[in-house]
Amino acid sequence: MSIFSKTYEFTPSIKPVKEPVIILGIESTSHTFGVGVVEYSNNSVKFLANISSQYKPQSGGIHPRESFLHHVNNAPRVLQKALETAKINPSEIDAVAVSVGPGLGPCLRVGASLARFIASYYGKPVAPVNHAVAHIEIGKLVSGFKDPVIVYVSGGNTMILVQKNKKYRVIGETLDIPLGNLLDTFAREIGIAPPYVVEGKHAVDICAEWSSEYIPLPYTVKGCDLSFSGLLTAALRLIGNNRDRENLGKICRSLRETAFNMLVEVTERTLMLTSKKSILLVGGVASNKELRWKFEVVAEHYGAEFYGTPPEVAGDNGLMIAYSGLLHFLHGKLVEPSRVFTRQRYRLDEEEYPWLP
Amino acid sequence: MATMNTQLVMLSRGAEAEIYLVDFFGVKAVLKKRVSKKYRAPLFDELFIKTRTRTEARVLSELYLSGLKVPGVLFVDEDKGVLILEYIEGERATEVFEKSEFEKLISISREIGRFASVMHSLRIYHGDFTLANIIIADDNVYVIDFGLAGYSDDIEEYAIDLHLMARSIHASKPEYAEKLVNAMLKEYKLHYKGDAEEVISRMKEIRVRGRYVDRELRKAIMRERYID
Repeated sequence: MSIFSKTYEFTPSIKPVKEPVIILGIESTSHTFGVGVVEYSNNSVKFLANISSQYKPQSGGIHPRESFLHHVNNAPRVLQKALETAKINPSEIDAVAVSVGPGLGPCLRVGASLARFIASYYGKPVAPVNHAVAHIEIGKLVSGFKDPVIVYVSGGNTMILVQKNKKYRVIGETLDIPLGNLLDTFAREIGIAPPYVVEGKHAVDICAEWSSEYIPLPYTVKGCDLSFSGLLTAALRLIGNNRDRENLGKICRSLRETAFNMLVEVTERTLMLTSKKSILLVGGVASNKELRWKFEVVAEHYGAEFYGTPPEVAGDNGLMIAYSGLLHFLHGKLVEPSRVFTRQRYRLDEEEYPWLP
Repeated sequence: MATMNTQLVMLSRGAEAEIYLVDFFGVKAVLKKRVSKKYRAPLFDELFIKTRTRTEARVLSELYLSGLKVPGVLFVDEDKGVLILEYIEGERATEVFEKSEFEKLISISREIGRFASVMHSLRIYHGDFTLANIIIADDNVYVIDFGLAGYSDDIEEYAIDLHLMARSIHASKPEYAEKLVNAMLKEYKLHYKGDAEEVISRMKEIRVRGRYVDRELRKAIMRERYID
């Protein structure tokens, strides 16, 4: 069922002065330029639009300048389409939400400039949203989980978090490269990407099907923290010049298995440590079938619930920014358009979020 | 094992292992069983249980033979992931720290410092070196739970051990913490074979760049890699 065909129950602790509340959200932190629109009324949230355009490199990884140019060229079209899909006029918006970080500097500035422009032209406030917080909040909304162990895995982040005293607490995170980056870099180095994702499947997952064998690789867990760089180096070294399908398949399979096991192990430990009753998987890697299966097994073992965000809202998108903007709006966490600053290294555990338990 | 009492009393269940109190040939012992995980591919599951059990047994025996106070290894079955260890009867250091007077805590802290220095001189790190994993039995300091321990030449691992312990002391006895940690480090410098200053300065670096995300959740160290 499409995420658009339903409304999500949402009871804010502070009621808005007028209803409905319509928020426009802009996402431009990395390879995706996206615009989303959400509407709140009568204790429920509706998704009105979620339009995005992705920068796909011809070769290599994300070039910040190329991604920036892609965003600049596509921003007007995406924005217009989002407004058309949502059937709203910009003047009906209550606030403009924009993802101000963490992300790539040049890319972030596209979204921020657009937000400043719309907000000042139509006289609206801006909600400066943390990209990571947005991933989590949309996951909480669609899953209905109030206080889960949160696993946030994407190309730029790998974290295990919980909510406490109105803050996000990072229990464990990667000490070097994120999980998504590990998969992307490996795929690129062995020549099976770009394209990194084909029909919703990552190149490493496709490659993993070429073999049914496994080979042990370095497994690095420190307390609740993870380290993937040694795994990457070892896997690349094993490939060497042997690029036949069987060998590539075997190592892809083992790399994926090892990396996912590490993540699941620390999540399992966090679940025990905190006695939470649910696991929420968010971020770009959340749509990975193999990873979801592993979490389902763990959740079942502990009698906990598991929810992995669906692909439409798992990867970067404007909708999650719009929804987080709604939270900002309801709690008055807004700024003047002239006070919108991007922050490339904006951590999510720095500040309090008034809507958290 | 005909003479082993088959009555198992579960002491605790962790994410990785189950701990039972057993009677091992008339000796009160602890049985640590690493459990198989369905989410891992069978080969990886076996390998994981085997290597972790083996490392823990090896680390414990080496420390035991070096004269450090750790539970002695009575039995190892790495294929089944079973370790049987000596049962240490005593009080958790976290409880001792709550109620004891300064003099006693100073001597415990020194002992902890000495333990760490000898352990690190053997290239061994503990991985979860906190007061919760220390037992005080007849004024002796025992260190337990080497489930995350390993061998390394990287002083970062040693520094993390000291950092974890310092944080743990700060959390349970803030009023004396400074003096207690200094006593621990002073003793560490006396016995560590390498350059103790290097380890200690790395420990201070970790404190600055990383911090505990939550005191109750001791195991988590977060490193400040995003510095604006």
